Amino acid sequence: MNKHSHLKLAAFAILAAGMGEATAQGGGEHEHEPGPPAPRFDDGLIDFGGDGIWMQPWVRVMRDRLVGREEIPYLPWTEAMQAYNQETRVAYDPQGLCLPPGGPRMMGTPYPSEIIQDQKGERVILIFEGGTHVWREIHMDGRPLPDRESLNPTYFGYSVGHYENNDTLVVETTGFNEKTWILFDGTMHTDELRTIERFSRPNRNTLHYEATIIDPGAYSEPWTVAWDIPWSEGAELSEYICQENNVFLIDLKDEFGNPFFERVEVEPDWPE
Amino acid sequence: MRNRFLITLIAATAAFTALRAAAHHSFAAEFDADQPVDLTGYVTKVEWLNPHTFFYIDVEDENGEYNNWAVELGSPNGLMRRGWTRNSLQIGDEVNVEGSRARDGSYKANARSVRLSSGERLFAGSSQPDVEEDAN
Repeated sequence: MNKHSHLKLAAFAILAAGMGEATAQGGGEHEHEPGPPAPRFDDGLIDFGGDGIWMQPWVRVMRDRLVGREEIPYLPWTEAMQAYNQETRVAYDPQGLCLPPGGPRMMGTPYPSEIIQDQKGERVILIFEGGTHVWREIHMDGRPLPDRESLNPTYFGYSVGHYENNDTLVVETTGFNEKTWILFDGTMHTDELRTIERFSRPNRNTLHYEATIIDPGAYSEPWTVAWDIPWSEGAELSEYICQENNVFLIDLKDEFGNPFFERVEVEPDWPE
Repeated sequence: MRNRFLITLIAATAAFTALRAAAHHSFAAEFDADQPVDLTGYVTKVEWLNPHTFFYIDVEDENGEYNNWAVELGSPNGLMRRGWTRNSLQIGDEVNVEGSRARDGSYKANARSVRLSSGERLFAGSSQPDVEEDAN
């Protein structure tokens, strides 16, 4: 094999690897059987449950999931911070500390989930296996979205929702804290963040997820991302407690090489 | 030349698959996809714990010295969905690990797959092609 063909083959290997990644990344194109029509309740309302769980994909690059635009409308500081987070290999990702994923990122972090619709139509509960044993509660009783200034800022914010045409669950959320990233790739937000999420189930095996990010503190205009989440028939959620043995933190260093958490030798002070 | 091509291929594959590892924190901050490792050794300790399972193996180096490597896998849940059980690794088992070495050069690696003493090779919670298998 001459040097030239070696280079060509190497280039092909890298290209092939890159293509695999691109295929895995693109929104909603994961190969899975669409399956039968989505289940519905007796009154025709879409049922997001069944004997199974939703298997979130790992959404790593938000820009690849944009709907109706090519670029995220960053303000200068979010653009600079996203670049910084990439340069530092997303080492300072709050999720690395076992903190919750926050709003839309919960649907793009690769731990499965369930969506439980209260039959009285008052609440929808989203249970997430990853993070810190977390859930989201969506108020469906018609209450208005509170003013964010009246809320104590939280990781998942405060959500109200309604159904559109028995097909789509529309959830509006405000009251987020600033302790999460919108995505693994270092896309950040402020506590001015408000999200509008749309959940639909075009067939039994597909949850279509769409989120609009409205954050005048971080972005010049609202922007929307979407991806599909496949169903795993017969699978169940399991307990997962992220904080159990997060040794990643022990070795985590800042960009100057200083450890985030120092090991301290403690002399036991036993009574004589 | 043939060997060099193989190494390139391994490096490219590692770059692709390693990205899938350790979803809960940054893989790249800790491990280097450009430092693929292929380790065979004997299990000395197993930590079947969240967020990621670790096990330790004694591996003989080229000088005949044994080094104890820490090997990171996915979460116990993710492993069980890939066919592991908490008994898959036993102290003293001879296993083979393919993965990526830590950036700091320590004897630590993130596994892509592990060949158990039974001869079965299982993915380590990091490299299955479909979305379902992406769950860690």
